[in-house]
Order: sequence, then C-alpha cells, then structure tokens
Amino acid sequence: MVGTMPVGVGHFLVVSAILLVLGVFGIFLNRKNIIIIMMSIELILLAVNLNLVAFSGALGDLTGQVMAMFVLTVAAAEAAIGLAIVVVYFRNRGSIQVEDVNLMKG
Amino acid sequence: MNWALALPEIVLAACGLLILVIGVLRKSDSAQLCSMLTLGAFLVTGLLVLTRPGGIGYYGQFTVDSFAVLTKLLILIGAALSLMLSFDYNDRQGIARFEYPVLILFATVGMMGMVSASSLMTLYVALELQSLALYVLAAFARDELRSSEAGLKYFVLGALASGLLLYGISLVYGFSGTMDFGVLAHALGSPAQASAGLIVGVVFVIVGLAFKISAAPFHMWTPDVYEGSPTSVTVFLATAPKVAAMALLLRVMAEPFGHLLASWQLVIEVVSIASMVLGALAAIGQTNVKRLMAYSSIGHMGYALIGLAVGTPLGMRGVLVYLIVYIFMSAGTWACIIAMRRQGLAVEKIEDLSGLARTDPGLALAFAIFMFSMAGIPPLSGFFGKLYVFLAAVQSGLWTLAIIGVLTSVVGSYYYLRIVKVMYFDAPGPALDRRPSMLGFVAAVTGVFTLFFFLFPGPLVAAAGTAASALFG
Amino acid sequence: MIYMLAVFAPLAGALVAGLLGRWIGDRAAMAASVLGMAVAAVCGPLAWAMLEWGGAPAGTIRIATWIQAGSFHVHWALRYDALSAVMVAMVGFVSMLIHVYSVGYMAHDSYRRYRFFAYLSLFTFAMLMLVTANNLLQLFFGWEGVGLCSYLLIGYWYDRPAACAAAIKAFVVNRIGDLAFAIGVAMLFLTFGSIGFTTIFAHLAQHQTERYHILGGSIRVYELIAILLFIGAMGKSAQLFLHVWLPDAMEGPTPVSALIHAATMVTAGVFLVARMSPLFDQAPAAMTLVAVIGGSTAFFAATIGCVQNDIKRVIAYSTCSQLGYMFLGEGVGAYPASIFHLLTHAFFKALLFLCAGSVIHAMSDEQDMRKMGGLWRKIPITYVTMWAGSLALGGVFPFAGYYSKDAILEAALAAHSAVGDYGFVMGILAAVMTGFYSWRLLLMTFHGKPRGDHHAMAHAHESPWVMTVPLMVLAVGALSAGFLLHGIVIGPHWQYFWRGTLVLAPGNQVMTAMDQLPGWAYVVPSIAGLLGIAIAYWFYWWNPMLPVRLASQFRPLYLFLLNKWYFDELYDALFVRPAFALGKLLWQTGDETIIDGVPNGLADLAVDGSRGAVKIQTGSIAVYAFTMLIGLVVLVGIFLIWG
Repeated sequence: MVGTMPVGVGHFLVVSAILLVLGVFGIFLNRKNIIIIMMSIELILLAVNLNLVAFSGALGDLTGQVMAMFVLTVAAAEAAIGLAIVVVYFRNRGSIQVEDVNLMKG
Repeated sequence: MNWALALPEIVLAACGLLILVIGVLRKSDSAQLCSMLTLGAFLVTGLLVLTRPGGIGYYGQFTVDSFAVLTKLLILIGAALSLMLSFDYNDRQGIARFEYPVLILFATVGMMGMVSASSLMTLYVALELQSLALYVLAAFARDELRSSEAGLKYFVLGALASGLLLYGISLVYGFSGTMDFGVLAHALGSPAQASAGLIVGVVFVIVGLAFKISAAPFHMWTPDVYEGSPTSVTVFLATAPKVAAMALLLRVMAEPFGHLLASWQLVIEVVSIASMVLGALAAIGQTNVKRLMAYSSIGHMGYALIGLAVGTPLGMRGVLVYLIVYIFMSAGTWACIIAMRRQGLAVEKIEDLSGLARTDPGLALAFAIFMFSMAGIPPLSGFFGKLYVFLAAVQSGLWTLAIIGVLTSVVGSYYYLRIVKVMYFDAPGPALDRRPSMLGFVAAVTGVFTLFFFLFPGPLVAAAGTAASALFG
Repeated sequence: MIYMLAVFAPLAGALVAGLLGRWIGDRAAMAASVLGMAVAAVCGPLAWAMLEWGGAPAGTIRIATWIQAGSFHVHWALRYDALSAVMVAMVGFVSMLIHVYSVGYMAHDSYRRYRFFAYLSLFTFAMLMLVTANNLLQLFFGWEGVGLCSYLLIGYWYDRPAACAAAIKAFVVNRIGDLAFAIGVAMLFLTFGSIGFTTIFAHLAQHQTERYHILGGSIRVYELIAILLFIGAMGKSAQLFLHVWLPDAMEGPTPVSALIHAATMVTAGVFLVARMSPLFDQAPAAMTLVAVIGGSTAFFAATIGCVQNDIKRVIAYSTCSQLGYMFLGEGVGAYPASIFHLLTHAFFKALLFLCAGSVIHAMSDEQDMRKMGGLWRKIPITYVTMWAGSLALGGVFPFAGYYSKDAILEAALAAHSAVGDYGFVMGILAAVMTGFYSWRLLLMTFHGKPRGDHHAMAHAHESPWVMTVPLMVLAVGALSAGFLLHGIVIGPHWQYFWRGTLVLAPGNQVMTAMDQLPGWAYVVPSIAGLLGIAIAYWFYWWNPMLPVRLASQFRPLYLFLLNKWYFDELYDALFVRPAFALGKLLWQTGDETIIDGVPNGLADLAVDGSRGAVKIQTGSIAVYAFTMLIGLVVLVGIFLIWG
C-alpha cells in the first residue's frame, strides 16, 4: 500500500458527482438519439448507487446498501417502461431523433 | 411489527393483481368490468383507511396518522372521480382497455404509500411506483403520436427528476447517517448539524418533489403532457398525484427537515412566486383548454406552496384546505372539458366553447362556476382555499407572498373569466354532443361542493387543522 | 327541535323538488314542496306558541361552526326569541298558503313547474334563515338568499324581455342597498369585534361616544352604522329613492308577488331595523331619517297608486306605501306597532295579491283594470275575499289594518316631535288615498259594465278550490288578526310579549303615550279611510265620467303621477345612461388595448410576460431539462448563500 493514497469516502463522492454531471449533461447536450438519454439516466442512477454504497460503508450502516438494491430494481423497471414508450413513439413518428420530439409547444 | 398498518394499501394492491388476472382471462369487454371493480376496490380501501387505527410500523418506514388518512381519502376521491370520467371517454377514443384501471389503481397504491412514508426509502419506492404507472398512462393512446410524445417527455424528465431526488436522498443519508424521518428530525435538531452537503441534498430533494407537483421552474413537462395525454389521463394527473406529491412535500419539509425551516423557507418562497407568476402569465395566450388548465394548475400549486413557505401548522392547514378545494373544482372542470365533443370527436379549443350558454346551459353554468371558483371569487370554494393560505402568510408576516398572490390571482382571473365570456357572450357554434350521464353526475357533485362549500367549511377546515398539527407531532 | 323543523322543512322540500324534480316529475315535486311547507306552517306557530305561553326558554340553537379565521368566529345558529319566533310563524303560515295557491295558479303553465316550486321553497328557507339569524353574517346570507330567489322568480318567465329586465333592475337596485349594508356590518365588526347580536347588544354602552372623523366633520359611529344599515333596509323594503324595482318586479308570477314582494321579503328591511332596535335607539339622527323616509314613502307611493291601471301595480304601490308606515312607526320608536302592522299586512296584502291573481286567472292573463269590470257575479268568492282584504288595507273597523295602522299613526302623533307630526300628516293623507285606490280597484274590476273583449269575459270563471281556500283562510286572518292580537302585541303588556327583543330608548314613552292622546286622534285615521272610500264611490260609481274629466283638466298632475313622479326617467338620465357610456368607453379602450396591442399599461405588461413565459416552452426535451438544471443551480445557490 506504500505510495498509494487511501481511498476515502470523498473520492467516491467526487466520482459520483462527475457521473451525475455527465448524466445530466448527456440529457440536454445530446441532440441525437433518445436511447442516449436513456443511457444518461442510467448513469445518474449509477452515480446515486455509488454514493449510497460509499456512504453505507463509511457509516457502517446497511440502510444505504438496501436502498441501492431498491434503486437497481426500480431502475430496471424504469428502463423497461422507458424503452416501451420509445418503441411506441417510434412506431408513430418513424424516428427517435431528439429534435423531432417537438410536436407540442407554447 | 404491526403489518396491519398498511392494510388498505395491501388490500388495494391485492385487488389490483386480482383485477389484472380477471382482465387477462376475460377476452372481451373486460375494460368496463375492471373499471367497476377498481371503483369498488377504491371504496373498500377508503373504508379501511377511515376505520383502521394509526401508528408507526415496518421499523419506522411507514406511518399512519390523521394527515395520512386525510390525504389518502383525498387521493382515493380524486382517483375515483377521474376513473368515473374515463368510462365513456376511453370507449369513444378506442382506448378502453383493462390495463387502464389497473394502472390507475397501482398509481394510487403508490400515492398512498407516498403520504404514509416516514423514511426516505419508502418515499422513493412509493414515488416510483406512482411515477412508473403515470408514464405508461400518459402514453396510453399508443396509436396516437401526441400521446406517445407526451409519455416520452414525461418519462425522460420524470426520470431526470427522480435521479436528482435520489441523489439528494443519498446526500442526506450520507451526511446525517439515517433515512428515518424521526431520527433525521432529531439529528437536525440543532442547526449546527446542517452541513453544506446535507443542505445541498435537501435542495435536490425539494427539486425532485417540485417536479412532481409541477412547480416552476420544474413545470416544463406539464403543458405538453396535459395536452398530449388522453384527457381521461390528464384528469387523473391533475387531481390525485397533485395531492399526493404536495402532501409528501409537506411531510418531508415539516417532519425531518422541520428544524431547517429558516434554510429552506426562501427556496419554497422563490418556487411559489415563480409558479404563481408563471401560472398567471403563461395561460393568457393559450387557445387550447387543456394547455390552459396545465398552466392554471401550475399557478394553483404556487398558491398552495405559500402555506408551506409559512411553515407553521396554520400554513399547512391552509395547504390542505387548498388541496381539498382544488381536487373537487379541478375534477369538475375536467368533467366539463371531457364533455367537449362534437360529432364524435373530442374538441379542446377555447373557441369550441363559444355560445355554450345557449346550446347547453347546464354545462355552461357548471363550467362557469368552476372558472369563478378557480379565479377565487367569493363565495365559491376557491376563494376559501386562497383565503386560508393568504391568512396564514399574513399572520406570519410574509406580506410579499400574500401580495404577489393577490396580484397574480387578479391577473389569472382574466383568463378564467375569458372562458366564461366566450361561453356566455359569443355567438353560439354547433351544439356539443349529448354528454353521458356520468359526466353530468361528477360535474354536479363537484359543482355542488364548490358552490356550497362556504356554508359548512367548519368540519373540513377542522379536519385539515388536525391533520396539519399531526405533522408537528 | 320543532323550531329547527320549521326552518329546515322548506329547505328539504326545495332540495327534493329542485334536485329530483326532473326525474320524479312535477306532481311529486309539488307535493314534496307543499309538504315541506305544511310541516313548517304547523311547527312555526307551534314553536311561537310554546315560547309565548308554553314557557319554553328563549335562546340560540347552534347548528355548526361556519367560519373560523383568526379572531373571526361565526356559527350557524338559530335564534329563538319572541321576534324571530313570531316571524317564523308568520312566514311559514303565509308561505304554505301561497304554495297551495300556486298549485292551482301554475297548473296551466307551460314551463316545468318543479323549478318554480323549488325556488319558492328555497326562498321561504332563506327568509326563515334571515329572521332566525343569530349574527349579521347569517342574516346577510339569508338577505342575499331571498334576493337571489327573488330574481330567479321574477325572471321565471325568462323568455319575456320585460321579466328579464325587471329581474336585472331589482338586482342592481338591491346591490346599492346591500353595499351599504355590508359596509355597516363591517363597521360593526370593527367596533365590537363581533357580529353576533348578543355580543353587540351587550356592549352597546361601551362605544357610545366614539366618532368617525371624515372630510373635516365628525359623526358618531352608531349614527353612521345605523344609517348604513337603514340604506340596506331601504333597498330591500323599496323605500323612497330605492323603490323603483318593486313595481317592475310584478312581472313575475302572481303568487311570487304575493309571497316575496308583499308578505315577506320586502318586510326584511323593517325586520332588520326592529332587530337592531337597541342600536337604532342610540342613534337619534338615524331614527329621524327612518321616520322621514317612512312617512314620505307612505304618501308618495299612495299618490302613484291612485292612477295606475295595472291591477298588480296598484297593489305593489300600496305595498310600498304600507312599508312606509312601518318605517314611520320604527322611526318614532314604536317597534311593536310596526311589527304588528308587518304581521297583519302580511295577511291582507298576500290576500289582495292572491285575489288579483285569481282575477287575472279568470280574465285569461289580463292585468289592465280598464279592460275588466262587472266581474263580481262571475267570481263571487274572489270578490268577497277581496272586499275583506281591501277593508283591512283601508283600516276599517274591525279589520286588521284598523288596529295596526292606527297604532302607528297614534304613535307618530304621540312622539310629540316635528318628525312625528310630519309622519302623522303624511300618514293621514296616505290613508285617504289608500281608501281611494283600494275601492277604485274594487269598483273598476268587479262593477260597472264589462269592458273586456267578449271572448275573455265569456270565459271568465271562478278559480278552482286550491286557489279559493287559501283566499278564504287569509280573509279570515285579515278580518280577525288585528282584533285578536292587538291586546297582547301592542297592549299595555307589550313588553311581556316581546321579552326584550324590541327595545325602546330610555325615556321614550311613545308606547304609553299612544293611549293618552286626545279623542280626535283615534277617530281621524278611520275617518280618513272612509273618506277615501267615499271619494272612490263618488268617482267610479255615481260619476264615472268625473275621473276622465279630472284627468284631462289636471293633465300635468295626472301624467306626473301616472309616470311615477318620473323617477325612472330621472335615474335613467342620471345614472343608467352615464354608466352605459362609461362602460362602453372602458370596454372599447380596454378591448382595443389588449387586442390591438397598443402599448399601454399593465395589461400589456401581462401579455408581454405571457409571450416570454411561453417562449421558453419550445417543446424540446433538452430545453426542458436545461431549465430544470438552471432552477436547481439557482435554488442551491440561494440555499448556500442565504440559507
């Protein structure tokens, strides 16, 4: 372990914050494909899970890990529903380009 | 562990599974049957909610107090009313499938869980149960582009909001070491405990919940989703989830974060003012009734938030009275909007209402009553909703909020009264189709409530007062 | 319990008739509504009798909390005291008779009748709420409720433009009075911190000397409040200057005129002043105003009544005039006499209107007396009962009006003040004219040559028994009410009867002085009435050409009276046209500002704001997400900097 820095909870926080920012930016900077938005959402949830597990370890408390399990489960359901909606949308519109999603405005 | 605390939710969920099975097994016309069964399940659940004793169970995850009971009843009423309005509409739009009532039912289970949550974990799971069902409902007319676009937008933005909420939850957990509301409240008892990380976490949580009640500036999904979704779904979105999300926000702000009032008060004020102003202004130029109602609902949530910003039991009571009043007048307004159908096609432009007073005086009268009430004109119920929040704000010295509230409601009354003007003074267009009796029933019940609320506000206000003080232990 | 039943039975009837009428049909709706009224008509007098003679304690019956906001607590409660109970008894009884009568009167109406009966019962309920109110807000609720029902019923035949115009006129004129009333109530709350009668009356002594300073002058709080409340009463009771709506209100069906515009609603103003008598006693200037307006109205309305040709309008102006008498009595402090006249008047004026309705019914909806005549053989029951009503109205012994009207005139004289004397003279003149126009009506309608077209005359027939029985009951009331009641209501023991609900100012001896006037004072009112009757006979029996000659000889005076002193024209020129012009101006500029986008003022700011708010709503998911993020960052910023 000589020469290496011990990995503390702060490092996890920084990584997860970066993941969060990546995810959020992925949603509104991306001009291409709705699938990329779905991936960005997964990224945000991963950031959260990393946070939860890191805190759980640091606090010595299991709640965070239980929560992470719930988040994983819900994320799976969310992804399924999201993809289903994207499929329905594609059938109607014939495209899943982000800039095409602008029928309603004002 | 007292598992029976969640009996209403358990019964309702079991009914949901049963109805799902019945819907799958019966080949034809299962939609009507499932809807009726769902209404029955709501009724049973409502009775259970009323009669079961309160308490805290599931290791502090789940609480039943008078606040939860009141809001659950409101949620069930809202869900039942919107389900009743959907019967005929779904039939004619060709979306009468048995999944519809089942989804409504599961969303309702989620909402009931939300208002009973006493830990961040329950909060999240219940919120997602509600949201996932709502995403599907928004896209329910799957052969219609507008509906699927509404579903898509709702899903993407909703998922983003949940992500932010979750991130906030993880921060709050990390910096306080617990997810339990009671323990959190205890840990935050001295403001010195509130580190910057925790505070950022609280803001993230507020943002996630503000999205669900469509408060500005997290409202952007609302007009598009309201417009695009089938109107029956919009009715549902505009009633029960509003109550559930607002109630959840009240509980989270009052119970675990109650000691941080001084910190979050300004945030809620900003959100409230932004919502009121946006709701009043953006609706002025609208031509689509559904879109107009979306902006109107944003404004109404702004008024309700005034009570939360006050942060006292009196303010919370104001919010609850507002929700009670709002759910009825909103359901009534939507009943009138659903009745807008000409030669078999649903119409939703304001000009389609012109001269309604001469072609259908009953509907026009009901619509006018709801519009006057939304505008807050005494002695209709909407006036009392505003009165109680403004009163609480004034008593706590939040003059800015009260004054902006009064000003925006004056501006807002312009577009409500415009609808009345179109109905009563414009040249009549072709008559609307004959409306089904269920719409008339819902409009009449909610109309009578709206019109005569002022006679006996006592019991409801007292119930709201009890519920609000339950939040403050 | 019986008392509550008396108040709420009409509501039940109204709800059943109104909400279910469409499904259960007109007959069932009528039955429900009449049944509700029958219960009220039995329970009302019973509750009153129990209070007066059965030893039931007076008090309040609390029903529910109404409004609770800060220090402002209001409860729904019924006040059970002598004044309220006697009003409940009267309203319930008269209203029941009119309901029964309406069953026959509206039988041929082409509209759905359940609506009519629902309104009628609802009106009765509102009136009962008004008289049993325990606080001013509840009273105001009943006040507005009777007003609302009145407009609905005036405009019942909503496709007649005159009916709609009359309903709107009644609405607008009453708003003026109601505004003053509402301000008065607000000032009472400011002064006493409460709007409950009990609290106000208990603390009257504390604020006696408080004054408001306005425009350099100052006025006692009590005077101002009393005047404001009286202006409200003037609107409702159609007193001079605010009377213009009442004659037009006759566009409604005749039973409505009988119930609302004669027997009950219009007396609400008189009731209000009586209810607030402890306050009015502290406001001598306001009392003077009440007496002057009352006496003037009695005279003024009677002059117009002498030349009207519409049978209902004659009775309408007579109502106006009689209400003037009641205010005159109150103005000199003789509240018991006024309320007594209110009660007897309810009987004989309802009777007169119902008789007029019966005549109109017989004449196939003809209301012009010039086209009647010679009817007495065809409708004998109506004829006889109308005689009874007219005798009562004219104040002929031993009919009801003799006791109550004379009492008011005696009280005016006994007040020994300039105002009282003025009121007495006006009252005597009005009494002459009352006798005149009553018999003019009788003679023109029932005697002489038939002047109607042959078809209508041949068709004339007596009304069915559901209409004549109420007439007979009311005729018995008109005959006997004064004779039976005057001893206990205004006799030497009047204070025992009213049990402190009607309060005379300390030192005001008018009730005892009434009995100690010189002998002529008791005879003059009766002689005046008989004189009027004699003139009417002279004009319309022996010399039928005389009125025509007089009318052409004194043409300006005749036109002046026929056109009701030109009040409508005056108001039209003074208020209505300028208001319309102003409205048009505002509407045009306002409309143009918003629609044409002329940059001007707040409206434009709102429109600009609206465009801006909508502009960010581009429909793009990316923009929506970005807005949320901006919001998040701003909120975190706020939290970290100020939190």
